[in-house]
Amino acid sequence: MYYIPTLIGLTVMVFAILHAGGPYKLIAPYINPRLSGPARQEQIQMLIQKFHLNQPIYVQYFYWLWALLHGNLGYTTTPIFSGPATEALAIFFPNTAVLAIFAGVLMWIIGIPLGTWSAVRKDKPDDVAIRVFSYTLYGMPIYLLAVVLIIIFAVYLKLLPISGVVNPELTVGLSWYVNGISYPTHVLIIDAIIHGDWKLALNAFEHLILPAFTLALAAMAGVINILRASMIEVLDQDYVRFARSKGLPEGVVTKKHARPTAMFPVYTNFAYTVAGMLSGVVVVESVFDYPGIGYWLTQSMLGNDMGGIMAGTLIFGLIFVTTSLALDILFAIKDPRIRLG
Amino acid sequence: MSKEESIVKIRDLRLSYYTRRGVYHALNGVDLDIMRGEVLGVAGESGCGKSTLGLTIMGLLPRNAAIENGEVMVDGFDVVRPLREYFRRSKGKFKPTKNDDVLKKLHKAMMNIRGVKVSMVFQEPMTTLNPVMPVGYQIAEVLLQHNVSLLAKRRLARAKATREDMKAILGYLRGNDMASMMDYIKSRRLEGIEDQVMAYWRRRDLHDLVKEIRILSLCCDAVNPMLRPGLSYAARTNRLPSAPVLRQLVRHELVKEGYRKAAEYLGLLGMPEPEKVVKMYPHELSGGMRQRVVIATAMINNPELVILDEPTSALDVTIQAQILDLLKDLKQETKAAYMFISHDLSLLYQVSDRIAIMYAGKVVEVGPKDSVFKEPKHPYTQMLLEAVPTLEPHELKGIRGEVPDLRNPPKGCMFHPRCPFAMPICREKEPPTVDVGSGHKVACWLYAGGGEKK
Amino acid sequence: MARRGGLGGFWNEERKLSLQVFLSNKPAVVGLVIVLIYIADALIVQFAPWLLGLKNPYALTPNYINPIPQPPSWKYPLGTTYPGVNLLTAIIKAIRVDLGLSVAVVLPGAGLGIVIGIIATYIGGWVDDLLMRITDIFFSVPYLVLAIAVGYVLGRDITSMIIALIIVWWPLYARYTRSVTLQVRELTFIEAARAAGASNAKIMFRHILPNALPPVLVQMSMDLGTVMLVISALAFIGFLPVSNFPELGYLTTLGLNYINTAPWTILFPGIVIVIFAVSVYLLGMGLMDVINPRRRSSL
Repeated sequence: MYYIPTLIGLTVMVFAILHAGGPYKLIAPYINPRLSGPARQEQIQMLIQKFHLNQPIYVQYFYWLWALLHGNLGYTTTPIFSGPATEALAIFFPNTAVLAIFAGVLMWIIGIPLGTWSAVRKDKPDDVAIRVFSYTLYGMPIYLLAVVLIIIFAVYLKLLPISGVVNPELTVGLSWYVNGISYPTHVLIIDAIIHGDWKLALNAFEHLILPAFTLALAAMAGVINILRASMIEVLDQDYVRFARSKGLPEGVVTKKHARPTAMFPVYTNFAYTVAGMLSGVVVVESVFDYPGIGYWLTQSMLGNDMGGIMAGTLIFGLIFVTTSLALDILFAIKDPRIRLG
Repeated sequence: MSKEESIVKIRDLRLSYYTRRGVYHALNGVDLDIMRGEVLGVAGESGCGKSTLGLTIMGLLPRNAAIENGEVMVDGFDVVRPLREYFRRSKGKFKPTKNDDVLKKLHKAMMNIRGVKVSMVFQEPMTTLNPVMPVGYQIAEVLLQHNVSLLAKRRLARAKATREDMKAILGYLRGNDMASMMDYIKSRRLEGIEDQVMAYWRRRDLHDLVKEIRILSLCCDAVNPMLRPGLSYAARTNRLPSAPVLRQLVRHELVKEGYRKAAEYLGLLGMPEPEKVVKMYPHELSGGMRQRVVIATAMINNPELVILDEPTSALDVTIQAQILDLLKDLKQETKAAYMFISHDLSLLYQVSDRIAIMYAGKVVEVGPKDSVFKEPKHPYTQMLLEAVPTLEPHELKGIRGEVPDLRNPPKGCMFHPRCPFAMPICREKEPPTVDVGSGHKVACWLYAGGGEKK
Repeated sequence: MARRGGLGGFWNEERKLSLQVFLSNKPAVVGLVIVLIYIADALIVQFAPWLLGLKNPYALTPNYINPIPQPPSWKYPLGTTYPGVNLLTAIIKAIRVDLGLSVAVVLPGAGLGIVIGIIATYIGGWVDDLLMRITDIFFSVPYLVLAIAVGYVLGRDITSMIIALIIVWWPLYARYTRSVTLQVRELTFIEAARAAGASNAKIMFRHILPNALPPVLVQMSMDLGTVMLVISALAFIGFLPVSNFPELGYLTTLGLNYINTAPWTILFPGIVIVIFAVSVYLLGMGLMDVINPRRRSSL
């Protein structure tokens, strides 16, 4: 319902942030550093003309929005990619999507049973263990989690690779993998499957495991805590007692009667989980050198690359707003009270 | 009610709740029997332990409830035994988490008692039903858990019955010849159809013609041939087949049948448009309708005892009357016993056969309702009856004093601080329960010969 | 049972019970003790660094003679990190910086959010709608990303990091304040005050706020940990172009190249953050128990 206004607001905010630094900051990257004196001034004037920076600010906004809607996000210059920002998006976004979806699935299939179990076994040793686990995850900065996982699984156990997306030896001479960019989907694991290179796909998958687990574990703490709290509350409800009075097995009582309602706080808080995960993506991708938008964004930050920062901010906002809209719809379907009332 | 065996037998039940603010002695030596087929009314002020008593019979206690002594035999099964044994073992170091483990085991042990022999109707119809499940499923669930064979038989019978069968059955029904109808059904091996036929035939809100059309249309409902062996298996063994996919398919079919049965049953309980209602969610129904759904859930598997915990207190007066009428009808039609918990004495007088009066976790007086109401023996009962407002004006008397703090209950008789007839012995010793004639029992020193006889 | 006057208005018995409830929650007590230790550390480093024998309390002291990380020993109980920094003193210094930064973000962020949340509920109507849409917009960009964008404009330094995080944090408080205020407004005793003819402003400031604010304050205490996590993550990805800055995230990056040989350089600074964040969380949960009447009475 608020999707469109929020999106417009998002563009206004990004525009405002970027223009808060004044016009010079905007054109600085385009100025030829070798020019000086009047030639430099001339170029600055030309750039101001070109980007309509002499116009009133709201006019500038509409010029900017117009360009945006035509897919013109400017240029980005980072060590990992130089060129139109839209092209960079096409390369980096699919990778992030694969990583985030994989992590989300992991979080869901591990976090939900743990939260349920923890509530059912309230105050018993296994519940205490799960709580210690989830509190530790909660208090762990995501980069530390990543590094700890690397130390355990890559350095000591040597089960998984430390970082990157693939073992470079395997990609030598591949026609569809050039300069660290794979074709056609830009997601190495999918491209490898498309080209039937199973060994490479497996290797890429191994590289995906640690980042995905890092993200999943970081986001899991919140889900476990929320589910545990609401589940404990729901298990005290009359309808759970009524379900027991029917002589149903405990498993049915908890999974079929208690959990569906206990999940609603998880659903309503899911936007926060997604937000946390998207922030986590930035860190995780930069720790693991994983070529997604988060990595691109950190590279842009380090290189003061406006195109990358602007495009990254916009795309992260867009992802968040869109997923939360999709989740709202999905979860409304799950709750008959919203659906019908 | 002449000499009959009891379905529930409670002896010296003592139960405490362990909380942060102290130990609440909620039940202090309850002795009570519920006979088969009777309606036992349980009355008392709020906090006197009447709801706790109902929950104890169901074994639905919270984790911090400690059974300190006593037994609760439900049809020969001692519900509180594991809890009592845990309390003995804990030797004063009662841990709710450990108690919870015992309760979990108890839930498992009682699976075949709850919903089969005993079921319960709770006070708040608003919160008793699961908000995210269609009410029909919540009713059918009892049968899916305990009586799969009935559902399977019903389904198979509908597939097998021909139009001629139904016409024949209708003929018997018109002639009110139930015995021959049952014989006919047996000879045609249509067991399961009678349940459905009778559900329509006994409906009061339908015109006879409508009933006949509905009964005739019960026939020839072919069943998927792949499911037939699974359904027969379920009908024979009262269990779902264990083969993975088949199990899901059969279950799905039986869930549909469960909705059908739920709708029929709601129809019998006077619910308008039951076929639509079963697909609705609780929030779409009014309070009275929800309570009907709860009652249907409790009754659908023909339990031997139904515990009604203030089933009408949360409802409007007019709805209350409807639900009471419904319960009276059900009492006539089923052989179940009822334990009717309420604080409303006039309501209990209408529905009960016997009345038990509770005070501070103890049954102080129990007996046939006329005897208890006309000649109350215990001072508390006398004062309680005087406090009931009626339409004819009379002097209302409250009971002076307050309910005792159950964390440190008074010594001796619990009622002595408020009792106008209190004697020295009342402050010293708990009164024994004495029979004052025709099953009318009272726990009071006035009748136990503690002081001067009255 | 309206608790008039909020936390200050408890009856004596209630206050005793609050204490009892809090003390019965062992993890919360442990959390409180640990948080107090951190605060003490920060105060000592700020005002009396000589107590701990710190010569250079506000920066790291590198030792380029022996820059390779050394394992824990008597001389360096937590070992050293690149370039020859004593980890123990570095962490002691860093706690002050991180705690200070957290407070510098949470206090103004929460203050701004609380004021806006109250304005939204107090005026209501379209103002409420508009303010909540604005928080939606701020909320739509993940906090780390938003901080990066703000950092680009203001230049990446500590001030801009604090400003960026305040911008990120206030919407959360605005929403939270709004939701608890709305909850309190539905309570019966507010109806009673209204029926007794109290003015709107009086109801708001005398009756609603004292009851709505405690949960927000607890949330603030819990957020000290969360903000510390975010700050260290920002420092970790290189948001602050500084060197020798005693900050836990930055401290972690120093040892990153020695991950194979010297894991302690990463683990020790990390654990210090984890302990703080968990302690603050446990403390917050304990306080939640105290102010939640339902949990107060349960076992």
